[in-house]
Amino acid sequence: MNALRAVAAAALFVASGAAAQWERVANRNVPLGATGEPNLEAPAPRTADGKPDLSGVWLPESDLELEVSVEHMPLPRYFVNVVADLAPEDVPMQPWAAELFEERLAKGGTDSPLAYCKPTGVPMVVTAPLPYKIVQTPELIVILYEENTEFRQIFLDGRKTVEDPLPRWMGYSTGRWDGDTLIVETTGFTDQSWLDGMGHPHTDRLRVTERYRRAKVRELFVDVTIDDPGAYTAPISYTVKSNLLADEDLLEYFCTENEKDIEHYE
Amino acid sequence: MKANSLALLAPALGSLLLAAPSLAHHAFSAEFDINKPLTLTGTVTKIEWQNPHTWFYIDVTGQDGEVANWGLEMASPNLLMRAGWSRDSMQTGDVVTVEAFHAKNGKNIANAKTVTLKATGQVVFTGSRSGRAR
Repeated sequence: MNALRAVAAAALFVASGAAAQWERVANRNVPLGATGEPNLEAPAPRTADGKPDLSGVWLPESDLELEVSVEHMPLPRYFVNVVADLAPEDVPMQPWAAELFEERLAKGGTDSPLAYCKPTGVPMVVTAPLPYKIVQTPELIVILYEENTEFRQIFLDGRKTVEDPLPRWMGYSTGRWDGDTLIVETTGFTDQSWLDGMGHPHTDRLRVTERYRRAKVRELFVDVTIDDPGAYTAPISYTVKSNLLADEDLLEYFCTENEKDIEHYE
Repeated sequence: MKANSLALLAPALGSLLLAAPSLAHHAFSAEFDINKPLTLTGTVTKIEWQNPHTWFYIDVTGQDGEVANWGLEMASPNLLMRAGWSRDSMQTGDVVTVEAFHAKNGKNIANAKTVTLKATGQVVFTGSRSGRAR
């Protein structure tokens, strides 16, 4: 994948805050420097109970080395391909999953759930190229994703993962703190979602582990591990970096509002 | 894919370009043909500033004098707004020149790459610095 040529970038343009037609409101959780500007290099703020405060509006960083679009915006690396770091022969996919993956590639994305405005789902939404907002309380973390206006609840009240939930696109998430790292375990998935834009499949045995790390105000890292013994012979891991949008907020995004691409497919 | 040979690497990379999600909604190649670029000049008749993609429509007069209405797809309004554009950056009645990629189905539909206002020469709705928000 390293051989892919670089593409002219505009995602940073999105993240860097060009003029917009609505008034920007500074996130009051962001510390200010001597000049009154957001101090993005400061240590991450902490909540009253001493945990790193993950609250804020975040945007997954795009990979400028990936040439995946003829349009103006590059995409986050693992949004396109969860095994982008592996040589093809090293991808631990079971034969049936590899066959299904090849079928999806051959169809050129025409059967992607996103094309039909179905949910993006976990883990793909974690690296979707639209902002998301974390709202943090001691016993519950809510993540609001602009992508398809989806949300997650991450329960930190000590409950166990439900054994047999209704299959869900977002799964059922519980979390706990390990030092300054928030560890989120998610199970209970439907098998309908794709892991990425290329179409890597999964089964309802999927378990996703995320480790949220925020050392600085500026950035949030999420170490994602995909463990699905139904489709893969070994776990797949990658790290998503998101950048803080210090004076941004979420917009509305309903894919069904004016979807008209499907009727144009050949 | 572990069972696959290295020989599959090249087509897999090619497919990456073709199958990758476009602006978090649909794959470009599912609808448009990168090998069929075209340039259209016409008058804007309608703008749909809505998700998941902004669409606008222009009347294009052909060499035979016949007028054809074309539908042109752009990025989502969310992305365009964050790049500094608004729904007023282009208005009904504006004459525009559009560089685009034709739909595979051959109908009067295309994906707009650049949109230039004839009156001012301004390139609108681009993520590059060649355009400036109004």
